[in-house]
Amino acid sequence: MNKRILIVDDSFYMRTMLKNMLTDAGYDVVGEAANGQQALEMAVATTPDLITLDVILPDNTGLDVLKGIRQQQPDAKVVMCSAVGQETIVNEAIENGALAYIVKPFSEERVLEIVGGALQGDGPRA
Amino acid sequence: MKSRDQEYRELFMAEALEYYDAMSRHLSELERNPQDTEALNELFRLMHNLKANARAMGFVDMGEVAHKMETLFGQIRGQERTFTGSLVQLTFGAVDTLGNMIRAVGAGQESADAHVLLDNLDRLIRGEEPVQAAPEQTTEEADADAGRKLELSDLVYIPVKKLDNLLNLVGELVIDRDRILTLAAELGNAALQTTAQHLFRISDDLQYSVMDVRLVGAGVLLNKFPRVVRDVAAAENKQVELTLAGQDVQIDRNVLQLITDALLHIVRNGVSHGLEDAATRVAAGKPAVGQLRISALTERDDVLIQIQDDGRGIDTEAVRQKAIRKGVITAEAAALLDEEGVWMLLFEAGFSMAEKITDISGRGVGLDVVKLAIDSLGGQLRVSSELGKGTMFTLVLPTSIAVKGALLVELDARAYAVPLLHTDTVLALHADEIFAVGGLLMTRVQEENVPLVPLRQLLYVEGDEPLPRATRADLPADDTLHQVLVVSYNNRRLGLIVDRFLRQQNIVVKPLSKPLDTIDLFGGVTLLGSGQLCLVLDVPALTRLFLTKRP
Repeated sequence: MNKRILIVDDSFYMRTMLKNMLTDAGYDVVGEAANGQQALEMAVATTPDLITLDVILPDNTGLDVLKGIRQQQPDAKVVMCSAVGQETIVNEAIENGALAYIVKPFSEERVLEIVGGALQGDGPRA
Repeated sequence: MKSRDQEYRELFMAEALEYYDAMSRHLSELERNPQDTEALNELFRLMHNLKANARAMGFVDMGEVAHKMETLFGQIRGQERTFTGSLVQLTFGAVDTLGNMIRAVGAGQESADAHVLLDNLDRLIRGEEPVQAAPEQTTEEADADAGRKLELSDLVYIPVKKLDNLLNLVGELVIDRDRILTLAAELGNAALQTTAQHLFRISDDLQYSVMDVRLVGAGVLLNKFPRVVRDVAAAENKQVELTLAGQDVQIDRNVLQLITDALLHIVRNGVSHGLEDAATRVAAGKPAVGQLRISALTERDDVLIQIQDDGRGIDTEAVRQKAIRKGVITAEAAALLDEEGVWMLLFEAGFSMAEKITDISGRGVGLDVVKLAIDSLGGQLRVSSELGKGTMFTLVLPTSIAVKGALLVELDARAYAVPLLHTDTVLALHADEIFAVGGLLMTRVQEENVPLVPLRQLLYVEGDEPLPRATRADLPADDTLHQVLVVSYNNRRLGLIVDRFLRQQNIVVKPLSKPLDTIDLFGGVTLLGSGQLCLVLDVPALTRLFLTKRP
């Protein structure tokens, strides 16, 4: 059974790139959410093995979404995604249970390394 | 064919232009009302996204401008500064510059040097005044700005559901079109006939355009397999090298969706049962690493997906014995099967070649899911294998699910449609070309004995009783030609004797509705131009019926 991943990012371009990287590596991308509301709904509907979560979303901050997801599913594995400049939020996210973060622009190797590590239950890492 | 880089570029452009439009809008809002936090938040987010996307694409300057703008809007949001004075003018100029940079990417041009703007943005961020309040602009550029055209993205995203709906509507349209064509011919009105012909061409174009929109590269699915193969090979302790080919072959997205599980099954099966472990391979004089190849190719109107391994091949006798043991087939029937017939038993429900059930090749679920998926698409499955050399499975799939090519045959003045995917050849046979063996009529087709059966007997006679034993005496003594449609399913050919052949045409198959949907001899129904309903024959079901009722 391939690991199932939900991608949360408000940029279609980013989602597509992430999705291609992940599906090429054999993961199943079970959903793509473009905002916080969708992310919360899809996290419940798809119960993914891992969620990649953008820090800045149109309707909500990634941090609020993270808290919401972990309230629904305390064991949810979440990896934050962010361009540089949002280190404060990222640190707060790690304190709130995010497993790791990926800095945009990301390389395929980096994404797979971090996602793979998070799925295998590594602790917080950057 | 679009490469992935090109696809990314198009996506980037589409989104960047969207961002640019939204930035311009929000900037005007913010100018009108500097307290508009919603506009401010959006500007911040859009700059942030444009920065990330531009950097991922390698557009350094664009990323830098967006980054500094993000910082500035962050400062305003953090109430470190207000949206007033030289800042307003400079941000408008910066958004224009971003717009020019984005358009330059679209046009494949270098964008103008941005260091003056970047320096000024830095000064603003540090709380200094920009060197020149207004970005450098010649009158010429100002004129160009004023006369600038509005641009919309060249790309739209469409949910598959909407495409499904579109395809259904086109299907309905095609049916009505055929009806109008027939009516026009019947009425004999020349003007109406010309218009009907025109309608025919236009709706044909429309139909193919809609079908074309739904096509995706087979790579969408094939590219998932390197990981699958790696996992199965690791779990089975085997060394496998996977090659993919034909990722660019175009196929309907829903067809691909429907065969995903089937393909997964065949590939897992190929690794866990087809390929041997390294020691066995070396002992057999083969390279230690097993080869697996998944390729997509186009053949006429169909798409072929082939899964080929260089493993042990299928042990025909072992399969035959096991099928008998499992009750899939009687010993008598099994004895009559040729090699290919035996191989197809692998895809029967209740047959699972693995003696022990592993995680990898499924829990008791066998390759029969493969056959179900292919049948539901009206596709075909072929197997070829050589003991010790390897096995190749071929899935023959329709490029599109909406419209099928079909051959119309007539039986007792009623038309039936047979999907072309299952038709092999048509024959007009003299009585002396037909012979009887074991109660069955047969003929030779390309060096092979093919049983013949009147379609009438399969369709009209109810119950499970075997068909009456046929002899050549049943054939009329005169020299009438017997019209035979040879259909094929699972490597097995069957000649259906019909009254006559009508024509070949594209049909839109509608599923039979309740309570008729349980009759499995018919795959659906279509409406002919004459307004006449026409049943679509289900060749797999007919073949199965023939096998159970053969004398």
